[in-house]
Amino acid sequence: MTDRLRVPRVAGVVLLVALALALPVAVADRRFYAFIVGITFLHVLWTAGMNLLSGFTGLIPLMYAGLAGIGAYVTVNLVMSAGVSFWLAMPLGAVAAAVVGVVLGLPALRLRGFYFTLSSLVIQSALTLLFVYFPRFTQGDTGISQIPAPTVTLPGLGTAALTGVWFEETLAVAAMLAVLVVWRVTRSRWGAYLVAIREDDVLTEALGIDVTRFRVIAFFISSLLAGMGGAFYAHYVAFVSPRSFDVLTSLNIWLMVAFGGRGTIAGPIVGAVILAPIPYLLQDLYLYKDIIYGVLIVLVTVFLPAGVWGSLLPRLRARLGAAAPARVPGKEFV
Amino acid sequence: MPPSPRARRALALALALAVVAGGVLPAAAQPRGEPVKIGWISELSGTWAFFGATCFDAAKIAEEEINARGGVLGRPIAVLPQDNRTDPAQAVAAARVLDSQDKVLTLSGPTSSDTALAVYGYAEQNKVPFVVPVAAFPRLTRPGTQWTFRVEPDAVGWGYAIVKFVEKQKPGGTLGLIYSDYALQRAITAGIKHQAERSKIQVVSDIVFPQGATDATVQAAQLKTRNPDYVVVIGGGAFDVTITNQLLDVGFRPAQFIHPFGTVKQILGWGARSVGSYYGTFFDHSLANLNDYARGLIEKFKARKGYIPAYIENFCYSTVYLIKEAVEKAGSTDRTKFRDALRAIDTKEITTGIPIVFDKNGARKEYMYFMQIQEVGKDTYRSREAFYIEWDPEVIPVYQLAP
Amino acid sequence: MDALLLIGLSVVTTGLITGAIFALVAAGVTIVYGAIWLPNAANGQFFMLGGLLVWSLVTGWGMSPLLAAALVVAASVPFALVLEKGLIRYFYDVPDRNIVYLVVTLGLAQIFAGIFSSTYGRWTDNYSLPAAWPGIVMIGPFPFPKTRLLVLSIALGLLAGLFVFLRLHRVGRALRAVFQNREAAALRGVNVRGIYRFAFVLGTLVVFAGGTLFAMAYSFDLTAAWSMAIVAFAIMIVGGPGSVLGSVVIGLVFGFTQAIVSVFANPTIATFSYLVAMLVILLVKPSGLFTR
Repeated sequence: MTDRLRVPRVAGVVLLVALALALPVAVADRRFYAFIVGITFLHVLWTAGMNLLSGFTGLIPLMYAGLAGIGAYVTVNLVMSAGVSFWLAMPLGAVAAAVVGVVLGLPALRLRGFYFTLSSLVIQSALTLLFVYFPRFTQGDTGISQIPAPTVTLPGLGTAALTGVWFEETLAVAAMLAVLVVWRVTRSRWGAYLVAIREDDVLTEALGIDVTRFRVIAFFISSLLAGMGGAFYAHYVAFVSPRSFDVLTSLNIWLMVAFGGRGTIAGPIVGAVILAPIPYLLQDLYLYKDIIYGVLIVLVTVFLPAGVWGSLLPRLRARLGAAAPARVPGKEFV
Repeated sequence: MPPSPRARRALALALALAVVAGGVLPAAAQPRGEPVKIGWISELSGTWAFFGATCFDAAKIAEEEINARGGVLGRPIAVLPQDNRTDPAQAVAAARVLDSQDKVLTLSGPTSSDTALAVYGYAEQNKVPFVVPVAAFPRLTRPGTQWTFRVEPDAVGWGYAIVKFVEKQKPGGTLGLIYSDYALQRAITAGIKHQAERSKIQVVSDIVFPQGATDATVQAAQLKTRNPDYVVVIGGGAFDVTITNQLLDVGFRPAQFIHPFGTVKQILGWGARSVGSYYGTFFDHSLANLNDYARGLIEKFKARKGYIPAYIENFCYSTVYLIKEAVEKAGSTDRTKFRDALRAIDTKEITTGIPIVFDKNGARKEYMYFMQIQEVGKDTYRSREAFYIEWDPEVIPVYQLAP
Repeated sequence: MDALLLIGLSVVTTGLITGAIFALVAAGVTIVYGAIWLPNAANGQFFMLGGLLVWSLVTGWGMSPLLAAALVVAASVPFALVLEKGLIRYFYDVPDRNIVYLVVTLGLAQIFAGIFSSTYGRWTDNYSLPAAWPGIVMIGPFPFPKTRLLVLSIALGLLAGLFVFLRLHRVGRALRAVFQNREAAALRGVNVRGIYRFAFVLGTLVVFAGGTLFAMAYSFDLTAAWSMAIVAFAIMIVGGPGSVLGSVVIGLVFGFTQAIVSVFANPTIATFSYLVAMLVILLVKPSGLFTR
């Protein structure tokens, strides 16, 4: 990395943060667009967690939505049945998802990358079955409605429900925190280990690095973010059902990562920002929107094989005059 | 692109026809002004697109008829569709856009369980009236409901009605249940099991399939060895037809089947083999008590879609008329006044004359027909009314049975 | 005694018929994955396309189900060739193409799902064919519909044919050589790209055949696409990617597990049991049971 790139990068990050925080305010009185913004932030959070595993360790956890579901159901049950505050229930839900994620990630310790991906698909369908089969906690496929918004108590100002633009701002902050966590992890020595494991786990093991430990940690953090997103989703949309967390949701989150650019920090954000709003914005084209979505994915894969960001980044670098070495796209950090 | 000469000719012809028709039709005052908006959140794409599309088309027919006859309060009525992709989150987003952007008077439209409940949550939290045409969960009118009104009788009640029917057909008879694990099915069977005890009907078999199951041969054989007098079959989607056929294969007679509900496509799917079977419904083109509205709906719908409407289409059609009537009673498009008018309404369903009265939770005075299939052709069928029953929404503890 | 026999025979026939259809679809998936490294996430939609086209031909045109099925399976060849030429072949040389292919085929799945939902999905919610061979044959106390007997025989026949082809025919053996080692096969003069194309066409054809047979044996709706895609992947992983024998054995095992467990427990547990069995097998032998 040359110094010439540092300034634009810092400026870009500052701009992005400002934009993320300003957007909910800008659309505050158009609740529909505000909702799309909120949903997009949730997907930024989710893709960050998915990216940590799929982009940096090469393990694609397609039971990701199931884990988000566990986070959501644990949180909602704690809040609605046990009367626990959302701010306590949400971390508990996230940890529950993380623990389940680590357990379900165990096959990954034995399975070579892609077999794990396919078997995680099966794990996901088992989780969906369980959600439907235990209506005591999930109310089956009728779902849980009227989930209350989290409340916030400010000293001297009393208690208020977190609604409207405040909720979207909260989601913006949560999404940024998630991206920050993933960025820190990948920038640390851990991150280097994770990539080493992705590239060649046998060799990495031979170098004396505890491959298992790092994979477990990656699973933990990734699933934690999945669960956290699930908890926020439940209380933001105010409704959850097993269908909110089915295999298509998993595949969609992963598609956003791949669409934007695996293994980069910005790529998944780009993917989420482009793809998450599509179903909402193409309301009037409801007969064609799935087709448009699919065509977009195919076109990007054909013409920008490393994802939108992963493919544009090297060009951007070249334009900025940085003497970036030609690397395989999709395998570098921003 | 400029219109082709042919298109232009067609347009001219259409205009001329419109002028002629305008002169011939009874001079209903042209509705004018800001339309009265109904936000129609429906499954226009996704897994259950069939139900959303069929329901919306029926609602459209009602909208056209009402506007041709002068609208409501002198204003046109407008059914504004929003697709929910059979996805609850999308349904909430749709509710949001209809509420805050289009400023609709009321929400309506969902035909699927979870989308209806998602909209229910939004409506109750944001104080928007919500008239549910076709969703049968008791939870949509659970005690404390303020803004939601359910036009379709609740599914636990259907279970009650089924047992009452069996009791009449064969007192002390036995019943086998075979169904898919969907919330609707769980609610119906909860009602059956509850009422069966009280009606001295024995449930000898209770077989539930996971969603996505495809084969029921083993279960059909098991059920055959128990040999119940009647079998209640409620598969999810096409699996319903598979179960029915496989039960017939192992030797059940059609007259032993009770399907809690029969949509047209379902009945056609069961086919000629099922002549003699019973199904529950709330409207059927074979009923004797059809009025002009009902016949008009059947004719127009058939011309538009190529198949005959059944209870789903009728609920969607008559819901628009119900909303119109409530707006007239309220005399304004104020949401609270509209809600209060619905609460106080005491009217008849436009197509059947069956009473519409809502209790304090928005649940309707309930009723059900049981029909016996007489004939199934390629795209039509005929059946005969075998049983009719009305009951109070809380005749059995529906809210505890399907929480 | 009769009751026991009735249930026993229902288990055998159900295990065989679901197992054979599972096996057929999984074999199609495994041929494509084994050769090209292409995990076709759209295979469920291909399966569905086969079934829906048969349904259209039969209910719309009054064609006999068997003729319609034959036509649809034949039509899958040009369909696969167009797809191969227009899309699939561009990624043959990408190093981690399995992931790229997963993205592309998910895109394809989305396109097909969108098309089905805005066409077929609005016409009806269940697709049922008239019996291809009406009537029932009694096996002891157990009545077995002749159509299902027909479907079962065709499915087993196709599987046997596939097997013989891969073992004995020159092209089939070249295909297996590519499964085992691309580089070695190339060195021995096998046209690897030609084999890729052939594998894609053959695999697609087999999946279509599975879809048409499924449509003859069962009523179906659009949800069957994803369930079948996942079952096929599961069978492929357990059986070992690239192993047609693995697909057949595991497909039948899955079919029978589901049928047998159904006797003792409710069907949800039965479905669950094979998912769990799959995970256990994976933990014990991660590369699949039938890999060389």
